Amino acid sequence: MRRLIRTLIPGALMLALISSLSAPSVSRAHAARTNAVEKCGQAFAPGNFAPHEQQAGAQRKTTASTTAPVVREVDLSGLKKLLSREGREGRPLLVNFWATWCEPCRAEFPDLVRIDNEYRARGLDFITVSIDDVSEINTGVPGFLKEMRAQMPAYLLNTTEQDAAIQFVDPRWAGSLPATFLYDAQGKVVFKHLGRIKPGELRAAIDKVMSNK
Amino acid sequence: MIKRYLFAFALLLSLSCAALSGINVKADGTVGDTEPGAIGSVVTDFKLPDLDGKEQSLSSLKGKNGTVLIFVGVQCPVSNAYNERMEKLAQDYRARGVNVVGVNANSTESAGDAKAHATSNNLTFPILKDNGNKLADRLGAERTPEAYVLDSSNKIIYRGRIDNARNPSSVSASELRDALEAMLAGKPVAKSSVPAFGCTIKRG
Repeated sequence: MRRLIRTLIPGALMLALISSLSAPSVSRAHAARTNAVEKCGQAFAPGNFAPHEQQAGAQRKTTASTTAPVVREVDLSGLKKLLSREGREGRPLLVNFWATWCEPCRAEFPDLVRIDNEYRARGLDFITVSIDDVSEINTGVPGFLKEMRAQMPAYLLNTTEQDAAIQFVDPRWAGSLPATFLYDAQGKVVFKHLGRIKPGELRAAIDKVMSNK
Repeated sequence: MIKRYLFAFALLLSLSCAALSGINVKADGTVGDTEPGAIGSVVTDFKLPDLDGKEQSLSSLKGKNGTVLIFVGVQCPVSNAYNERMEKLAQDYRARGVNVVGVNANSTESAGDAKAHATSNNLTFPILKDNGNKLADRLGAERTPEAYVLDSSNKIIYRGRIDNARNPSSVSASELRDALEAMLAGKPVAKSSVPAFGCTIKRG
């Protein structure tokens, strides 16, 4: 038994070291009160929704600066437009629903950021939808995204029809967070995960959908 | 010998990973003929310990006219936003023959944690510890808070949110109370399944 423990401990330590080296820290600091807010009407104009690359590119350039990410406010119809892939047909879409008060959401975010970094240039659209209170749109939400160095287009769902929004996304989803949905290029859900993602599984699903594009 | 250690390590690692992850559902959502916790299905009797470790059962806790099972959490801010409302619900309906029963199915929260939480938040209704998520799995419960209304014959007539706003002053729809009123009046429930954002139940 002792020998077994002696064998396991170095392995566990190595694993912990690898994780700590590769993951951005998940502290609770809420900063950044300076980002712009765009209402869904503007956000979903085709000209605005389409250029994810430009948007992401612009954000990438300022990653090292102190600018916090833009968080766009969407209502139910805005969410529907987002998921309908208007102007973005032909590209798979990954959507993560989260909130700053949701611990597993915060815990999985470094993995989501890595996956975005790995796949965006290869043709994957990835958006995050926060369901925080709208009062957090200039504070907690962009503050956390900045801390995570998240560059995926970020939205905050502000609607009195949360039940309708959940049912629109997936009639079998009760609304637990985090929740991650992968749509293929035709807009069909091909993978979903409720709870903290398993990065390997998600990567495999993305690889599959990208190869079928 | 080394192979055996490696195997043990891999097994330990995979178990830890499984414990940390959530529910994985097929994209097409198929779960079989009857979805767990479906409206109209009957909840057969179950036994679970309360927060003192004493075994309780549905048959011993159910109300004469119905039962409300609410999956709750100690650390979930959404569930915590409803502490006072859940207690008020329990008090309002106890005299009308409907018992409210809390269920803590989070593997990350012990019975002791839940008991201290109930005491500090003045929750007087019974709370059960669903070790191994047996009840949560049977009912298909996914988040906290998530409520199930069982009629006097333990048939599920409502599942979903308590009301439509975390902030009590913003509430404009109280589907759980509406369902209870309909049940007590012998009428059908208008909205029998209403999702809401909440915390994922941490399965063990």
